Parts: sequence; C-alpha cells; structure tokens
Amino acid sequence: MYLLYSFRLALQSLWREKWINLLSVLTIAAGLFMITLTFFVVYNIDLATKRLPARFSVMLYLNDGLPEQETGSIIAQMKKNNAVEQARYIAKDKALEELKGVLKNADYILEGIDENPLPASIEIKLKKESVNIASVKKFVAEIKEIKGIADVEYGEQFLNSINSIKGMAKAGSLSLIIIMSAGVIFVCYSTIKIAFYRRKEEIETFKLLGATRGFIRAPFVIEGSVLGMFGGIASMAAAFAFHYVLFYKVTAAIPILTILVFPLETFPALPVAGLLLGIGGAVIALGRIRFS
Amino acid sequence: MIHFSNVTKFYERQAAIKNITFSIEKGEMVFMTGPSGAGESTLLKIIYLSEKPDEGSVTIAEWDLSKLKESSIPFLRRNIGVVFQDSRLLDNRNVFDNVAIALRIRGMLDSEIQEWVMEILKMVNLRHKAGSFPRALSGGEQQRVVIARAIVGEPTILLADEPTGNLDPDTAAGIARLFKEINARGTTIVIATHNRELYRNTGRRVFRIDGGNMVGEEIG
Ligand SMILES: Nc1ncnc2c1ncn2[C@@H]1O[C@H](COP(=O)(O)OP(=O)(O)O)[C@@H](O)[C@H]1O
Ligand SMILES: [Mg+2]
Repeated sequence: MYLLYSFRLALQSLWREKWINLLSVLTIAAGLFMITLTFFVVYNIDLATKRLPARFSVMLYLNDGLPEQETGSIIAQMKKNNAVEQARYIAKDKALEELKGVLKNADYILEGIDENPLPASIEIKLKKESVNIASVKKFVAEIKEIKGIADVEYGEQFLNSINSIKGMAKAGSLSLIIIMSAGVIFVCYSTIKIAFYRRKEEIETFKLLGATRGFIRAPFVIEGSVLGMFGGIASMAAAFAFHYVLFYKVTAAIPILTILVFPLETFPALPVAGLLLGIGGAVIALGRIRFS
Repeated sequence: MIHFSNVTKFYERQAAIKNITFSIEKGEMVFMTGPSGAGESTLLKIIYLSEKPDEGSVTIAEWDLSKLKESSIPFLRRNIGVVFQDSRLLDNRNVFDNVAIALRIRGMLDSEIQEWVMEILKMVNLRHKAGSFPRALSGGEQQRVVIARAIVGEPTILLADEPTGNLDPDTAAGIARLFKEINARGTTIVIATHNRELYRNTGRRVFRIDGGNMVGEEIG
C-alpha cells in the first residue's frame, strides 16, 4: 500500500510550511475551545433547569370551611391525576405555623389577629415531565373546575422564564457551534487548498504516471486530519487549563461557582472532533479529481 | 497494441489531428516526424490519455478508450511509460526519488523500490547520481532519468516526445541506443522526433505527419 508514503508526503508538507500550519492549528484550537465553552454553558443551564422542576409547585387554596369529606375527595382526586407526583394537604393551623416559622422573630406582626386568616391548601408537586407550560396550563384549567377550590396559584412567570432561558440557550449555542464548526472546516479547507495549489505541478505528474485518486488525495486528507487533531489537542489543553483555573482558583474566591459542572470526560472528544472537521475540510478542498 | 481509426482532435475548432488511422503492433518501435506544430505531440497525448479524441476510435492494449471509465485511466497509464517533452522531473526530489515515484504510485514497498530503482539507474548509467537533484544534471543525464522513470514500472508501451530535443549528437546517439535496448526487451515504443539521425538506417517504420494529416509512411 502507498499509505506509508502518503504519510511521509503529508508530514513533509506540514513541516515545510510549519509556521502557516501552526497558525491554522491555533485557529482551529480557538474555534474548538469556543465550542467547548458553549457546550459548558449549555450543559450547566440544562443541569440547572433539570433541577428546577423539583422546586416547582401548584398551590390549591380551598374554600374556607370546606367539609373534611370534600377535602379528602379533592386530595384523592389529585393523587389519582397522572401529572401529579405528590399532593400535600396543609391545614389552616399548619399554614399559620409555617408562616410563623418564616417570620421567626417578626411574628409580632400576627399579634392581635384572633382568627386564623389563612386558608387550607394543597401543595402539588408535578411530575418532572409535566413541568412545562402546556401541561401546567392544562392541569390548572382542569382543577379550577373542581368545586371547593377557591384559587389556584403557580409560578407562571417562573415557568415562562425557565422555558425561554432553555430555548434561547439551546438555539444560541447550536448556532454558535455550527458557525464555529464551519469556521474550523474553513480553516482546514483553505490550508489544504493552498497546499494543493503549491503542489499542483507535482500532482499533475503523479496523474500522468498513473496515480489513482486515492494516492493523490491521501496526503492532503492526512494533512487535514493532523491539523484538525492537533487543533483538537491544543483546545483540550486550553479546556483543561480553563477548568483548572475556574474550579481551583476562581471558586476559592467565589464559592457559589462550585455548583458549575465541567464534564472532563467529554474532553477527549475534542481531538476526534478536530480530526473529523479536518478531514471534512480537506475533502471539500480537494473536490473532484479529474484525469483528463 | 495501438490502433487509431479515423481519429480527429480539435483545439478550439482548429483540428490538430485530422482523420488519422494507423496500427502499431506489439514489440514495434515506430517514429513520427514532421514540422513543428504538425500534431505528433497531440497524437502521443491521445495515447497517454492526456487528450481525448473528438472523432474516431482509439484502442490501446485491448482497451477501447471511448469505453474507458475515468477511474480506470490510472491503471491504463501504468502500462504506458512516457518521456515527456518538458521532462516533468520533480525539482525538489533527487534522482532516486524521481524514479521511485513511478513505483510508489503503484503501492510498491520501500524494500522492493530500492532494488528496482537501483537496477534501472544502473541500466541508464546513473547509479552514481542517485542522490543528485535534477538541476545538477546535464541535459543527457536528465533525459536518462526521465527514461528510467518511464520504464521502471515495466510498461508495455513507451512513448517519447522529442527525447533528443536539446542534446548534442553523441548524447542523442546514447539515448537512441537506450531505446533500442528497451525495445529489444519487448517494449513497444513510439518516438516523436525531428531528429533524422534517430531513425536513419533503423529499418523501422516512420510516420510522416504534416498539418495534422498522416502524409506518408516510410522505412527509416
Ligand atoms: N492545448 C492546446 N490548445 C490549443 N492549441 C493547441 C494545444 N496544443 C497544441 N495545439 C495546437 O495543435 C497543433 C499541434 O500541436 P502539437 O501536437 O503540439 O504539434 P507538434 O507536432 O509540434 O508536437 C499546433 O498547431 C498547436 O498550436
Ligand atoms: Mg511536439
């Protein structure tokens, strides 16, 4: 096979133009590093929004003086509902107690109030998959119809903002990743295109001597993949450095940042991604090889 | 081995080759001659598939060129060694590598390449120049490198376009002897030349071409 020779040609060419190639590698590394950062941001937003449904609840305020039997039937009905994870009854007394707990030393506010003004309520936690605008709206509309329920309250604002944060983060990061990947491919493409033009005469001779398309393409594809892979390795190094600084230096000063997660195990994907983008750029640069 | 039947080739409406028919048998050594611009180079280019004929049919070693898939071109070309008019030596490679490249494209292993190339360099008397670069060689030496590269892959056909173009008579005679030797091993050879000395008293067929027409055939 000629591949060994293709490797030699590729390495010779890479070395001959080492400064330009180094520049390409650094550009590729910068692109891949930005992709990594984007991924980091989205990953953390996603994690954060995944934890949020557990905090989301719908409060059903019951009519004052609702008979115990009806209250029980509403609770039972709630527990049967497919969307409901958990339903907790909060009696009037309990509500007051909780309020006092919240107010702590400020409970003098409640002095002079003889009668408990708080209604009994049911706190409902929805199943994770039901914590989205459509499901919650549907659920709330359903239970509003139930007799004995005075009011329904839920964090509509909260729900809307999670939703839009998630959507914006996804759309923004996806377009950034696509743009950056295209950028990386373009850098490989132009580097290989230039290398190809520099060796045009030689390639013409190879063709006349009976070289196949594979023989002509191989060194350039190898060059592209080496550039991409080294770009990937450099970006991996940068990502590790970033990780180190963020998690060992910055978190010492700003402890809250420890909630951030940087999945180190995904880093080896960078050289692979670089390699694939490099091959892509080279293949596009070579185009169709014609013999006549 | 090489059959042209009513072949015409146009360059921008101007015919470089007009309705040419001939047959060259296996093992022959044939010369083509004529004034500059007569069309011999074009004829050779058609044989090594660098140009496509516009009319007529061409068969080379049983391959009908009109039915040849583009992806098969490299494999047919490996049966055809070419001594290019402009040499096409690679300036950035030494003599050994210039010859070896013809074997590398065939996927031959380095160990075999070493042996074959040195053998061919010995035959063209350039063993001692294996490490030299083309620019450091004389015209005759360069031409022998080109010939070595053309025959190292043991093609069945050897084409040569003006192989003694800028060589002095003695050097040209050396090149002529080399062709005779290669032909004696069974390689079919076609040589386009303006140099009468190359074919005089060879007893070989000489095609006379003028203005793209085959105007005569004689014995040299
Ligand atoms: N690529 C080309 N484009 C246009 N005209 C060409 C081309 N190659 C050759 N010709 C013309 O075709 C004719 C034959 O050329 P060629 O075969 O090179 O002649 P020669 O017999 O000197 O080798 C000449 O008139 C030449 O100018
Ligand atoms: Mg010519």
